Amino acid sequence: MEPEKRRTKEDTWKSDELKKHLRVSQSDSQSEDKKQKEKKLQRAIETHDMVDYKGYIPKDQDKDRGKAKERTEQANIRDEVKERRHTERKVKEGKKSESKNSLGEFLTKKDEEGGHRHKSHRDQELNKDRGRSHRDKREHEHSVRGGKERPSKERSHELFVKDGEEKYVLRRPKEGSSIEDRERQLSENNEKRQREENERKKRDLKKTEHKKQGKSLREEETSHHHERSATDKGKSIEREKKEDTSQRQHQGEHVSAWKPMQRQKSEEELEISDNYLTNYEDDFEDYVDDFDDDDDEDNDSEARDSEERLREIPVSKKSEIEEIQRAINAENERIGTLLPKQIQKEHEKEPNMERQDSPARGSLYGMFMDFETANQRQSNRNMASKQKKRSSELLRLIDLDFSVSFSLLDLPPVNEYDMYIRNFGKTNTKQAYVQSNEDNLERDVQTDEIETLEKWTQHPGDSVLVSGGPRSSNDVSVDIAVTPKIDSQRLTNFLRSACQVIAVLLEEDRVATQPRWNLRSRQTSLSISDSCFQLNTNLPFLHGRKVSCLHVSQVQRQALLSVHGLPEKPGAIQLDRKYIVCVWNVWQPSSPQKVLVCEAEVSCCCFSPSKATLVFAGTMDGSLVVWDLREDSRMHHCIKLNETDWIFRAPTFSTDGVLSSLNHTYPVLAIEPVSTSVYKEQNYGLSHLSSQEEMSGLSFQIASMDENGTLNLWVAVELQKVDLAGSQSDLGLIPGGKVKLVHSSTVQLNSSLFPKDILCLRTPQTLNIKFLPSNPNHFIVGTDIGVVSHGARHDLRVPPKLFKPQQGGPRSIRANAVDFSPFGKPIFLVGCSDGSIRLHQMTSEHPIIQWNDSTNGQPVIALQWALTRPAVFFVLDASSCVYIWDLLENDLCPVAKQIIQSDKVMTMVVLGEPEKTNGLLGIALAKQSGIIDIQYVKKRWALPQSEESEKLLLLLQQSL
Amino acid sequence: MGEPLGQPSLENSYSLRPAFQHKFRSSAVKECIHAILKENLANVQYNPEETPGLTRSLSETIKDRLKAEGFHRYKMVVQVVIGEQRGEGVNMAARCFWDADTDNYAQDVFINDSLFCVVAAFGCFYY
Repeated sequence: MEPEKRRTKEDTWKSDELKKHLRVSQSDSQSEDKKQKEKKLQRAIETHDMVDYKGYIPKDQDKDRGKAKERTEQANIRDEVKERRHTERKVKEGKKSESKNSLGEFLTKKDEEGGHRHKSHRDQELNKDRGRSHRDKREHEHSVRGGKERPSKERSHELFVKDGEEKYVLRRPKEGSSIEDRERQLSENNEKRQREENERKKRDLKKTEHKKQGKSLREEETSHHHERSATDKGKSIEREKKEDTSQRQHQGEHVSAWKPMQRQKSEEELEISDNYLTNYEDDFEDYVDDFDDDDDEDNDSEARDSEERLREIPVSKKSEIEEIQRAINAENERIGTLLPKQIQKEHEKEPNMERQDSPARGSLYGMFMDFETANQRQSNRNMASKQKKRSSELLRLIDLDFSVSFSLLDLPPVNEYDMYIRNFGKTNTKQAYVQSNEDNLERDVQTDEIETLEKWTQHPGDSVLVSGGPRSSNDVSVDIAVTPKIDSQRLTNFLRSACQVIAVLLEEDRVATQPRWNLRSRQTSLSISDSCFQLNTNLPFLHGRKVSCLHVSQVQRQALLSVHGLPEKPGAIQLDRKYIVCVWNVWQPSSPQKVLVCEAEVSCCCFSPSKATLVFAGTMDGSLVVWDLREDSRMHHCIKLNETDWIFRAPTFSTDGVLSSLNHTYPVLAIEPVSTSVYKEQNYGLSHLSSQEEMSGLSFQIASMDENGTLNLWVAVELQKVDLAGSQSDLGLIPGGKVKLVHSSTVQLNSSLFPKDILCLRTPQTLNIKFLPSNPNHFIVGTDIGVVSHGARHDLRVPPKLFKPQQGGPRSIRANAVDFSPFGKPIFLVGCSDGSIRLHQMTSEHPIIQWNDSTNGQPVIALQWALTRPAVFFVLDASSCVYIWDLLENDLCPVAKQIIQSDKVMTMVVLGEPEKTNGLLGIALAKQSGIIDIQYVKKRWALPQSEESEKLLLLLQQSL
Repeated sequence: MGEPLGQPSLENSYSLRPAFQHKFRSSAVKECIHAILKENLANVQYNPEETPGLTRSLSETIKDRLKAEGFHRYKMVVQVVIGEQRGEGVNMAARCFWDADTDNYAQDVFINDSLFCVVAAFGCFYY
């Protein structure tokens, strides 16, 4: 006991030294668990050093160099500590073995209890340690160690006592036993431990032979461990470090840890860079140490045995040993897996048995618990390290990222009313709402209601019914309005003609009933006439206008044109500057049917040949104007005069200023329609193409001749389309007009008609022109040289060229009037300004008959065949004397002579209807006062006689 | 020592993605949660003393149910929050740092007159 105790004291001294150092380094490190703590620290330092060496060589190199010595010292110290611990344990073992019998189980238990407490305490510390980062702590300790080591070593023994007391107090505060007790207990504990070891050894005998051997070896070894540690000290720095660690671990406690340690080292070498892992594994090793140290005493001893054996065995045998060690290692690992269970078993077995007996055994029991948790921690660490490694490898393969924020719950705050309703709304109340006057709606419409009425219409109307529908919206039944079918065009035509007829009848009736008219006519009646009447020129717009020209349609014999000149004194109305042409129906003398106005002085005029629907006029300006009598009256100017509406028709078409290159440059003296109808008769069979034109009455030309001998032929063209806005191309056309003149051809009569001998004297002036009725290609032109030239269209050369008077050559005699016989005979009369009258036939140059002095030298103004009798003609001379010739009755002088004295007769035209045999033949006399008298000559000159034409022909032949 | 160390062949056999049939499907989990909540909270009135226990038991139930659902290699985190319905506005949100390919979450809310319960279940794939 004694030497062991001493040894223990020595050991404790050493440990005390360490403890002191520890206390300096760490205030809370308690001395009671000094051993464990020291061990732990040592481990930490060792591992730290190792790490430093392996992991941090580049970093700590200079530091290492500098501290090399210190480290060696430290290592030495640690060695010492370890040795001390070792010896302590040996002492314990020794004690155990000694006190096996005497002390019994009580002490063991106590010891175990102490250990138990001890363990819990150490746990705390460990936890603390773990809480800090390993590295920091180690370095800290390291430095502290470096600094404090020496002084602590130099400390005296009394410190130990104190420490021991402290230790004791801390360790067993409850038990409150003395130091001696404590020491005794220690020894007892040791003894007990030894005993247990033995027991366990026996138990574990079956496990391995090695262990047994180890144990036996170890028993031997226990004596020399001091020397061993001394030799350890002498080793070189770096090499020593490695081996030292392993050896120290050997020495220190256990064989089981030895192998893993080596393996760990190799691992460390492999994974130098992986600090964490290394550290962890270091820690892990630490725990392994703890575990083995305290838990498996038999293992310990075995390990120690092997350790010692290893140390003794030369290096050459190391390989064998290593093999053995590997085997041991493997076994240890196997045991390790089994250990928790074992511990558990032990827990259950031993404590249950022993705790009842004595508290002393409790301490021993505590030791086992300690191991278990250590084991657990260890495995945890192990797991953690594995996971760390795992994670480090996995993190390279996966990506972690922040997700978007998920809204797990969004509960909006409830407003107060809802809250109120939720809380109190259901309690004994019921909610309802009522809206009063809900049906009291007002509606307002701003628009009037639309009235609809169904009607239908059909255009063009198929039947009598062209439209219909209910009369009102209420009357749904379709009321078919029976409307008579009216052909408006026919009706208009009918009305137009009927109105004329009625108007004429009414006028005649009025003439008959009104004596004034009769009286007047009677007054003005002449000796040569049976009756006479006046055209009513007593109209406001005709006041004071001389009648310069009269014309009667060749087809519609009742249609008469009168040309009125400008009034002598300007009247009130705006027509004063215009010339007026009136269209009369001689049966309706009360008013002109149409009133035409023209800006220029009208010198001649004519109707269209087939139908009196167009009026052509030549003017002194050289222009030609056309009036279309069919035009709607609305197109023209309407003036209300004396409560009667008069429509003044403007020309439909005028060549004035339009066709300037083709127009006449001299006053137009004659205008004649050139009918093609007669011409057609000669070309039977071809007419049919132009039947359409004939129907419309437009198949004719207009010949106009000015006093310079220019003959223009025009074609009247009726436009198909009416443009009310006015034509762009036909500038002479009135807007809405339908008829225009197109220039056809121009003949210069002077050059073509007259022989050179006549022309060389002077250019003869042409005065009038007449077309042969039977062949419109031939025409005769009256001149101012007494001759009438014969011409033909299309440059036909026809003899004779000239129709000359009977005596003398050309002289200055105007052939004022020429007229073809209307009965188809190629004979014509010429009235000259010297009063001579000639009767020519187309075939001879000289006249058949010439009357020189019938008018007493008065110039003949007008001369015209009677329309009903071929042998009668009328002559008007300048002295307003009208002569009636009847060649059958007297071929030397006129049969009747009537001088009109009241008024100067300006012109005369013959009226008559040769188709009828009523014997009505009249002459219209235009007087200077503007009165137009119509005298119906007596029946004997009017009524045709039998075989008159033959007689005339005979007469003419005789006179040749 | 708890597990055998150092078998290098194991090291690279990580399964980085869950098998398709074991993938954490949010809808399925939500259904699961919903069913449990309906079953357990249908007629529960809020009681501040019982609630902690209730949340705990709920979370356990849900976790166990989810585990039984067979999301292999998934670590389940189930969070249950029960609060009293007093009309206050509540807003709860979560944000995760995870591998979006494998990990997912499911969330369900149960509300009755007296309480609201929010359950969020996060599944983290265990590589």
